Amino acid sequence: MPLLEKLLRSKAVIWTLLVLPGLWPFWPLLVTRNPTTGADPLKFLLHHFGFVACVLLAVVLALTPLRVLWPQSKPALALNRHRRLVGVASFAYALLHLVAHVLHEGGTDPARVAAIFGTALGKPFQLVGLITFTILLVLTLTSPHAALRRLGGRRWKNLHRLAYLAAALAAYHQIYARKLFPVQVLWIFVPLALLEAARIIRQRAMAK
Amino acid sequence: MLIRSPKTWELPTAAVTPEALYRLTQRRDFLKTAGVGLAGAAFFRSAPLLSAATAGFPAKENPAFPAAKLKPTAEDYITSYNNFYEFGTGKDEPKVFANKGWKTDPWTIELAGLVNKPAKFDVNELVKKIGGIEERVYRFRCVEAWSMVIPWDGFPLAKLIALADPKPEAKFVKFTSFNDPNSAPGQRQANLDYPYVEGLRMDEAAHELAFMATGLYGKPLPNQNGAPIRLVTPWKYGFKNIKSVVKIEFTTTQPKNTWNIMQAGEYGFYANVNPKVDHPRWSQASERIIGGGLFSGSQATLMFNGYEKEVAPLYKGLDLVKNY
Repeated sequence: MPLLEKLLRSKAVIWTLLVLPGLWPFWPLLVTRNPTTGADPLKFLLHHFGFVACVLLAVVLALTPLRVLWPQSKPALALNRHRRLVGVASFAYALLHLVAHVLHEGGTDPARVAAIFGTALGKPFQLVGLITFTILLVLTLTSPHAALRRLGGRRWKNLHRLAYLAAALAAYHQIYARKLFPVQVLWIFVPLALLEAARIIRQRAMAK
Repeated sequence: MLIRSPKTWELPTAAVTPEALYRLTQRRDFLKTAGVGLAGAAFFRSAPLLSAATAGFPAKENPAFPAAKLKPTAEDYITSYNNFYEFGTGKDEPKVFANKGWKTDPWTIELAGLVNKPAKFDVNELVKKIGGIEERVYRFRCVEAWSMVIPWDGFPLAKLIALADPKPEAKFVKFTSFNDPNSAPGQRQANLDYPYVEGLRMDEAAHELAFMATGLYGKPLPNQNGAPIRLVTPWKYGFKNIKSVVKIEFTTTQPKNTWNIMQAGEYGFYANVNPKVDHPRWSQASERIIGGGLFSGSQATLMFNGYEKEVAPLYKGLDLVKNY
């Protein structure tokens, strides 16, 4: 087995790759003590975790089109073994993002936390974020094999197609998180959209 | 024509009290380490000025706005966490890109429009003409829901208005920032409409709190904070506080302001800090304290950023929800 394929098949390697972005904030906050980051560390964590959640959501959705478009590619097949892990990691970062948001808004007591969620329901930008989070939560809860068996393959698959909706909502949420259009949204979601389009064309052609 | 009586706290800059000097030596490390007392302070006050907007330093604290009442944010945060889109949209970018050859010395500022005394001044000459600078510690609240406390050095905007001697028909003041795409990468990208413009109603501009800053923490303004001269209106969101001003014009009609041009639904003309009027995308009820760390960095936002007593009369009868 070539080295690349071996590495990509390894759970340990993928785990490491998924955990590293979560450790990254220690670098500017504790090691280099960057004053821009340290000025408002929660804002930094909020944006960082949200960004990583978006990237991982785009990555996990890109895995299927990669396999369909390049069925002979061993690395693509190796990566597809980790779809559940990457998807759950996206949810984990979305959860960290939500916790950072609540703390960022000063939510250290229950009454304040309730008020923060009340505010979120009234603002399209934040509401879309909450809906995206809820989808990822449901998909994570139904990710074990036991849930797949209980739901049945067809229903499970339909439910998990909500991930595409989550990606669209995440892109919207990320765009409106900034005062000016953030270019990184294009870096994350345009390749995914192109892959999905190519995959649909390929599957239609094969069905004929 | 502006008629106003001096406030009790408006001392002439030259009137140095022994107490103030004592506090100066307590606060300013360089005086202490130099081992100089009152005489040393007097020497620094008359030291020759070398570059732009250094006139008047060190400034005496205005006792009405003391550092003892508000705890100033660490200088490193104030000069490293900046919104100055002319030099990039990242908070860390202005510190880097505003210090790569952008010249803020010499700097000319123009008084124009409906005034009896239109003029162009070098900033240092202007400071001297106005009678020096003072230090005021103000709260600073960004529309993005974070806040600092900043010890500014500068002079009341009212003094500059008096110098321009506006005609009776002047109802607004328009501020224009610099336009130099060669020096400012953000202007080359045209991430906003440049030059940055802002405006105040005449009575707002003449208010005792409205301030023209030429320094912070007792030193000339760093480039990333809007050198060499900027507006400070502490009861308004940060984006009203236009940086690096080159022109102040008196007009009959309400001037446009940059963020209102960009996103009228999110940023208005008044931009008064108001915890009860939310931004469309986030709450304005609380704010992050810059430098507050992970778990103790949040506080309730105050009406008019804590300057309600002083500025509320300006807005009597005005619908603050509509005029956000």
